[in-house]
Amino acid sequence: MNEFITVFQKRQNMLLETTLEHLQISMISLIIAVILAVPLGLILTRYPKVAEPIIGVSAVMQTIPSLAVLAFLIPFFGIGTTPAIIALVLYGLLPILRNTYTGINEVNPALTEAATGMGMNSLKRLTKVELPIAMPVIMAGIRTSMVLIVGTTTIAALIGAGGLGEIILLGLDRGADINLILLGAIPAALLAILLDFILKILEKFSKKAGIKSFILTFLIAIFIIATPFIWNGNKQPDLVIGGKMGSEPELLINMYKLLIEEETDLTVSLEPNLGKTAFVFSALQEGSIDIFPEFTGTAIVTHMEDQAESNEAREVYEQARQGMKDEFDMEFLQPMAFNNTYAVATTKEMADQYDLREIGDLKRIENEITAGFTLEFNDRYDGYVGMQDVYNLEIADIKTMEPGIRQSALTNGEVDIIDAYATDSYMIELDLVTLDDPENLFPPYQGAPLMRTDTLETYPELEAILNQLSGKITDEEMRQMNYKVDYDDESPNEVARTYLENEGLLPN
Amino acid sequence: MIEFKNVTKLYEDGTEAVKEFSLEVRRGETLTLIGPSGCGKTTTMKMINRLIDPTSGAIYINGKNIKDYNIHELRWNIGYVLQQIALFPHLTIEENVSIVPEMKKWSKKETLTRSNELLEMVGLDPAIYKNRMPSELSGGQQQRIGVIRALAADPDIILMDEPFSALDPISRELLQNDIQKLQKEIKKTIVFVTHDIEEAIKLGDRICLMEEGRIIQLDEPKHLIMNPSNELVKNFIGNQKSPWQTTVGSISTYKKDLILSAENLNGANYRQQGSFVIVDKNNVFQGILMNGKVMKGQRIEHDMSLYDAAECLNGSDQALFPVLEEEKLVGILSYQNIVEHLRSTATKENGVIKT
Ligand SMILES: Nc1ncnc2c1ncn2[C@@H]1O[C@H](COP(=O)(O)OP(=O)(O)OP(=O)(O)O)[C@@H](O)[C@H]1O
Ligand SMILES: [Mg+2]
Repeated sequence: MNEFITVFQKRQNMLLETTLEHLQISMISLIIAVILAVPLGLILTRYPKVAEPIIGVSAVMQTIPSLAVLAFLIPFFGIGTTPAIIALVLYGLLPILRNTYTGINEVNPALTEAATGMGMNSLKRLTKVELPIAMPVIMAGIRTSMVLIVGTTTIAALIGAGGLGEIILLGLDRGADINLILLGAIPAALLAILLDFILKILEKFSKKAGIKSFILTFLIAIFIIATPFIWNGNKQPDLVIGGKMGSEPELLINMYKLLIEEETDLTVSLEPNLGKTAFVFSALQEGSIDIFPEFTGTAIVTHMEDQAESNEAREVYEQARQGMKDEFDMEFLQPMAFNNTYAVATTKEMADQYDLREIGDLKRIENEITAGFTLEFNDRYDGYVGMQDVYNLEIADIKTMEPGIRQSALTNGEVDIIDAYATDSYMIELDLVTLDDPENLFPPYQGAPLMRTDTLETYPELEAILNQLSGKITDEEMRQMNYKVDYDDESPNEVARTYLENEGLLPN
Repeated sequence: MIEFKNVTKLYEDGTEAVKEFSLEVRRGETLTLIGPSGCGKTTTMKMINRLIDPTSGAIYINGKNIKDYNIHELRWNIGYVLQQIALFPHLTIEENVSIVPEMKKWSKKETLTRSNELLEMVGLDPAIYKNRMPSELSGGQQQRIGVIRALAADPDIILMDEPFSALDPISRELLQNDIQKLQKEIKKTIVFVTHDIEEAIKLGDRICLMEEGRIIQLDEPKHLIMNPSNELVKNFIGNQKSPWQTTVGSISTYKKDLILSAENLNGANYRQQGSFVIVDKNNVFQGILMNGKVMKGQRIEHDMSLYDAAECLNGSDQALFPVLEEEKLVGILSYQNIVEHLRSTATKENGVIKT
């Protein structure tokens, strides 16, 4: 609890900012969903034949996982708030649509007949009789949709839309830091409760004041919420640099920004902490970001869907550069020194006790140890499959788990070895040691700036500027910088600046 | 006022609900539509306010085809009371009553005065009731509101589709009385659908009896009862016919030994004691001979109801009454006849005597 309060105090500003973002994204999505779904529902009540199929389609949309919807939208709408809102609107449509349709259809036919018989026209009947009577049902739909949207908005952080999901993702990235996750999750829940309460009040108000004033309130709400949003959209930077989840990419893109802004007049904006490799890559293809740091190994395995032809860093980079050029018309600038490859890590005591130095040393104790591997590592040749093959290992007990919880499983003693990334900051925090890989089983994962060829053609100076980092930043330096951001909570921008200054790349 | 000319309604599924229907509803009258379930009463009625359009034929209001009216204005001038009452549950009583006046753009003040006046008319105190919600009223009270809602904008025509059938007998009777009383004051043209013959008789200036989309008989209630045009009508009226409704012609008996010809009277060929009816050779009524004394005597028309006949009999010391058709004697009515008739139409069930 105390720890939670500390985290809360430290992150107050971020919390406030992300909560507001969250509120804004959710509300805009909800309002758009209402604006689309209520009239559509009303129209459908007049065409019952097409109603069922249309409601069916929107039900199908709801079953598509939100991550998949986001991934699908990036090629068309890029990253950021727009695709997030589109996805959220799609999610929010169904409950409102269905409730509007059934709400109106379930109005007692005698009442509609009375209304018609009294000489009301269609619109009058709708506003005076049908809508007010169906209102509780429609509002229930809106409230369901609201909860759905506020919940799903946490996912929007994966594509750089911001919101409380950012805090949750950060928590997940920091080894499932429960306090951070709660710090994101609790306000999201509170937000849902608060909005539910506001909607209830609005409903009561609409009962008293009639449907017209309800619509008016609604329009005012739209105006208030959308105004800052429209303002934000004004300034367009020259370059947008994106980065995957985590402190390391964020440090790198800050360095890019500092260097570019130091040496040119270009304005650079950053999109850190984008969810998945595939998201960042489609955003680069689509053009909503212009540069992001990518690993040579990932370029080959994930994007080119190939295998590294060599285990030698230089050759791997060359293969990746050529492939990205040929297949995607992208430029892969010079890599930095650090190699964030897979590593097998264990605690210092363990290493001392069994005199473990190399992966091959595990052979002696393979029947006694438990390994905690990610699902992916367990399944890849440049992972455990290769370890069995190259080092002839057969570990007795393997538990597969989420990346974020490996390190705590290791420190708790539940597992004895884990797979890790060489530059991860918890190596320092937990005093872990990595086992050498003399057979070069794990291909090099060196970071380098990746951009579209047209970007480089527009700004040819970028090549020289970014290549200043070529061969810089060792594993140890990277690990240290990650540690400062992750555990000392220093700002990535400051850490990046200090490094560049020390290297003489920025004037002091 | 309302005129149906050869109206036929064929529903999409082929049901012919109303067939070649022609009828005129007169200004200021209450016409009750009655008939077995499914005979087309509701369909007929809803064609008046165009909730249903006829397949062929036309309906005229004040000589103008209803299709030539603006449909909304037409409906504002036709009050509509539904069997399901159908008050709008989200509106107060006053708001419910004010709907049509508002649509007709009456001023706020006018509307308010009108709804107060109407509430008072049906015995509901506006101060208590106007801000209540429909669910806070009893069924009978709700339908009273249903009725005044239809009356609110002072329409010329009011349509009521079995308005009281969902109510308990006591509320029903009260509301029927209300309608009777109202109708005396407001004299609207009312088309009233019912399946209850008593209600039809009580409220209708004329009754239109329908079967399978056609008019079987259209008549004033007493004629309908006294001269049912066929078996169906008779069955429909059924028990409704009180023994007092029976025409004296059918109760009286033609007893030869109580008839005295004019010849025999002049020849003094008669008994001094007892009563006799005197006729001439053409059977035309001449007078009464009572205990040897000739008198003019009280006479009764053959198609008079027993009820009306009893009025005539009341206070007369005659023992026999001649029943005449066009001055000719068709029967003789005695108190004995009357008692026998009343006895024969009464039954006793579980100790309860019913007529
Ligand atoms: N919308 C419709 N579509 C098809 N047939 C209909 C429709 N409405 C009524 N009918 C049929 O038309 C006929 C007349 O119906 P209507 O409702 O006018 O009868 P009704 O005399 O009012 O009967 P009730 O006393 O039961 O209310 C019935 O056979 C009915 O089944
Ligand atoms: Mg009916």
